[in-house]
Amino acid sequence: MDLSMTTTDAKIETPSRTLTARRILSWVLGLPPAYYVLAILIAVAPAVSATLINPNYWFVILKQSAPLGIAVLAQSLVMRVRSIDLSVSGVFAFSIYLASSGLLNSYPPFVTVLMPIVIGLAVGLINGALVAYVRASAVIATLSVSAILIGIVQFMSSGRAPGSTPSWLRVLTSGNIYGLSYSVIVWIGISVLVALAFRFLILGRYFRAVGDNPRAAEITGIPLARTIFVSHTLAGTLTGIAALVQVSALAVGTIKPGFDTFMNALAATILGGVTFGVDRGGVAGPFVAVVAFSFLFAMLTVFGIQEPGKLIVQGGIIALAAIIYGARVGRV
Amino acid sequence: MNTVANFLKTPYRAGAIGLSIGTLLVLVVASVILLPEFLAPENLSNLLAQSTVLVISALGQTFVILTGGLDVSVGSIISVTTTIMTLDMPEVVRVMLCIAVAIAFGLSNGYGVARLNVHPIIMTLATMGIGQGLALIILPIPGGKVPEWLSASVAGSVGPVPNSLLWLIAATFVAAWLLYRRPFGLYLFASGGNDFNARMNGVPVERTVIKAYILSALFACAAGMFLAGRLASGDPKGGATFGIESVTAAALGGVHLAGGIGSILGTVAGAAILGIVNNVMNLANVSAFLQSVVKGLLLLALVVSQRRKTIGL
Repeated sequence: MDLSMTTTDAKIETPSRTLTARRILSWVLGLPPAYYVLAILIAVAPAVSATLINPNYWFVILKQSAPLGIAVLAQSLVMRVRSIDLSVSGVFAFSIYLASSGLLNSYPPFVTVLMPIVIGLAVGLINGALVAYVRASAVIATLSVSAILIGIVQFMSSGRAPGSTPSWLRVLTSGNIYGLSYSVIVWIGISVLVALAFRFLILGRYFRAVGDNPRAAEITGIPLARTIFVSHTLAGTLTGIAALVQVSALAVGTIKPGFDTFMNALAATILGGVTFGVDRGGVAGPFVAVVAFSFLFAMLTVFGIQEPGKLIVQGGIIALAAIIYGARVGRV
Repeated sequence: MNTVANFLKTPYRAGAIGLSIGTLLVLVVASVILLPEFLAPENLSNLLAQSTVLVISALGQTFVILTGGLDVSVGSIISVTTTIMTLDMPEVVRVMLCIAVAIAFGLSNGYGVARLNVHPIIMTLATMGIGQGLALIILPIPGGKVPEWLSASVAGSVGPVPNSLLWLIAATFVAAWLLYRRPFGLYLFASGGNDFNARMNGVPVERTVIKAYILSALFACAAGMFLAGRLASGDPKGGATFGIESVTAAALGGVHLAGGIGSILGTVAGAAILGIVNNVMNLANVSAFLQSVVKGLLLLALVVSQRRKTIGL
């Protein structure tokens, strides 16, 4: 009797264990490329430089990554619904100029704090209206908005670099709790909020449905245009917060926040497992991708690799990650 | 004249070509009336030389956009080409190397998009980074010397016809021939319009997409050679803006970014609109910084007027 029971238990356990192992393997294989990139970098870091594994150095990397991290979170919102936001550079340029040109000096400090967020929100509303309701191409519409913003900034500044950013605003980046910068705490806080919203709000379901199949979503009664409009508006607001963090990180203002801002944001979003309609990375994926990107560039700097080499490595990693990921989960 | 019009005819899915050509005509008439120096031979020659790189790269971009893709690596290919043309090696080898590099980029982009399922923006973004890095390695700062025949082929003229116009006409006719006189053109429209239907009807969609990216890279290579000849030197970042501007020109010309709709004449008109707007603003002494604002607004106005069925990219 006992023997037969043991035999039965053994028969049940074996497939169950196999199933669990398969599930774990499938879960690991389904992770966004950013996780693999970061794991490889951490594995080779000790051989490259002892500095790279110093916890304090990681705090610095996180601090430097915060503006990009929040911008990537914004980009991931629109890419989930098969759209794109190329106005990041414009929002950054406009916010940095207004904060560092002294134009807001006569106003209370909260105006300077709210300014980037209001600009981001306004840009998000315009982008959303153009893309969702006017049905303009997201690439062209958001690029035009960015070009207009950068043009206005260059005209107002006559092409010269503005002054310095308010010193009191720098506390957002320089202040810390147990070594963790306030800007990183803001980044993590927003990431958690977005993750909770995706988990518990109907909006998260709408985003997934629209990303999976916009036509099917519309037929089943999901407000397609409104969902895309909301995604652009939220993305614009988050980009504004990213611009605020970027302003706080700069001592001296600049009118050229970098063409590569949105390129890096796009690349990190993709490495994080979120692309046009594909959402495998959740909120953690883009977060890990930004950290991996910053760590990679830090490592390349240790190796003495200059800008051309960094561009090639960056391009190679994006291509490789997208190809491997594409082969596994379908179109990326 | 009829033969030319017949050759460039847009028999199907031409997009908002009327709007683009109408805008161009209004722009030209307004420029002639308001700015007498617009018709000066020096200005027209300058306008042609400035617009040719954009027209050639936008024609290549049109092939890719017609498939529903996007090629942002065009600018990097232009930059790499200008730098290769300054290398210290036999001139034939330089040209062959430029073509080989362009084919390699086009093939990588096309294979990545069509066979490996990578999104066009992501794939070409990756190769854009690689191309820009290569250009900076070959020539870290602008300079070098390109073959004299290349400079002469850009700067000179055949009788009263400037060479830059010949470059432009040649590129336009090659593009029109491929699009309207070859099965490839029909396949492009079919693949971009509805790839599933196209497959069901025997269209080799994947091969068509790969060919489109290779052609885009080859047109970018030609644009790079023209730019190298015009500058008489190489510039590792000289093509940087053309990746986005070529898309802009095509969109202005009524080519739908969702694919399947567009025309060669529309793209040429779109690129000409951009070129003339730049030129007119220079003549009118509009601040270089305000030009970006005006171009952005113009682009928004035209894109908004081309309402699409799809929402998004």
